Amino acid sequence: MEKVIKVDQLSKTYGNLLAVDNISLSVKRGTVFGLLGANGAGKSTTIECILGTKQADKGQVSILGYNPQKDRRKLFQKVGVQFQECDYQPEIKVSELCEETACLYKTPADWRELCSQFGIGNKIKNAVKSLSGGERQRLFIVLALIPNPEIVFLDELTTGLDAKARRDVWKILSDLKKKGLSIFLTSHFMDEVEVLCDEICILKKGKVVFYGTVEESKVVSGSKKFEDAYLILSDEEVDRE
Amino acid sequence: MKSFLTLLKNELKLNIRNMNMVIFAVIMPLIVLVILGFLNGTKPAAYGVEYTFMEQSFGALCTISICAGGLMGLPLVVSEYQERKILKRFQVTPVSPIKLLAVELTIYMIYCLVSMITLILVAMIFWKVTIHGSWLAFLGSWLLTMISTLSIGMMIGGIAKNSKSASVIACLLYFPMLIFSGTTLPFEVMPEVIQKIVRVFPMTQGIQLMKATFLGLTVDNIKLPVIVMGTVTMLCAGISIKYFKWE
Repeated sequence: MEKVIKVDQLSKTYGNLLAVDNISLSVKRGTVFGLLGANGAGKSTTIECILGTKQADKGQVSILGYNPQKDRRKLFQKVGVQFQECDYQPEIKVSELCEETACLYKTPADWRELCSQFGIGNKIKNAVKSLSGGERQRLFIVLALIPNPEIVFLDELTTGLDAKARRDVWKILSDLKKKGLSIFLTSHFMDEVEVLCDEICILKKGKVVFYGTVEESKVVSGSKKFEDAYLILSDEEVDRE
Repeated sequence: MKSFLTLLKNELKLNIRNMNMVIFAVIMPLIVLVILGFLNGTKPAAYGVEYTFMEQSFGALCTISICAGGLMGLPLVVSEYQERKILKRFQVTPVSPIKLLAVELTIYMIYCLVSMITLILVAMIFWKVTIHGSWLAFLGSWLLTMISTLSIGMMIGGIAKNSKSASVIACLLYFPMLIFSGTTLPFEVMPEVIQKIVRVFPMTQGIQLMKATFLGLTVDNIKLPVIVMGTVTMLCAGISIKYFKWE
């Protein structure tokens, strides 16, 4: 199967801290890839180095055959991104933010439809800052889907959402996956990862400590529940130390 | 082009909603004009000259909005967008940095234009101000002054570490320009040393040129102001594009 994201021996240091340590991974078209790890394990830095918003010290990245830094403008016609910490203009309304995003793409999706799919269709005229945390999170997923992307990057996609909203988001993402969308996500919710991800990669202190499917992780760690498997695998090195 | 216009429309709406520029770039110059108008009426600028005091001051009044936009509005918007990671969201879209800068630049040009038009209308209706020189030459020098000042603002916003330092640098430039370039104090009364220093401010050159073209005075050396303002524009615009930072 075609690989839409290829990362080879990626490394990034901040001063003395090795934030990303020789990571290699790849994502197949139409699959969901989950990057997991505790806070500070290097997930966000890895995503940023893959997207080219941070300069890696070493390693190669290719997304849809493009170099994210050199071919930025071509690449982001086809790739949607939701960052963990990103802001919006102080007084902006939902409709304005969506319109401003949609106008940047050649063939954008209908953002009104996306908003109603994600349950914020009645909030279009509201100021973004007046939305609740969960509504804002859903808006940022909408923004990432506006390009009609081939790949979408979602950093902590359902943080701040209630149980019902999370299920709704899973459903929409699963449907989009069936239509061929590839998804690269990070999450702290193992139930979500288990439902959505075809492959996972667990990071600890910038290193890959597990890479495979959810089922494989259960086998390797000898646990029945995926959450236990995750905890065992992500703490593996502590036990050895 | 369509994306430029959509961005422009939305960013302009946001900017107007914020009200700062409406007050400082449109309402404030108008207030100054009205005060000067009531104080001076239609009396001549000096004994025996053809033009009125209001006509003599018109060029300088136009630079209030240029200063407000170029040295307060634009640098703060650019640095705030970097600091709040708004530009980072744009970084993962296909938009080019030049387009974003051009959108913000255009917004402040619109403010300057609106201010200039309201000033000239009010001045013509109430104090019978007329142009003695040529409209074309006046608009040309206005455009050059505006572009060069706005490009300074864009550069400050782009290279400053954060919005706080952008605002400090902007103030450091804004006030000397406002005080020494002839916007408030007549250029001619200043000591020669200061005159020499402030001559490199594009604002100084711009005001001299706007005044001369509005009043129809002969300009001894047209090359100097055009060269100063042109160089500043190229340099600042070049730096802001070359050293553009998304965050």
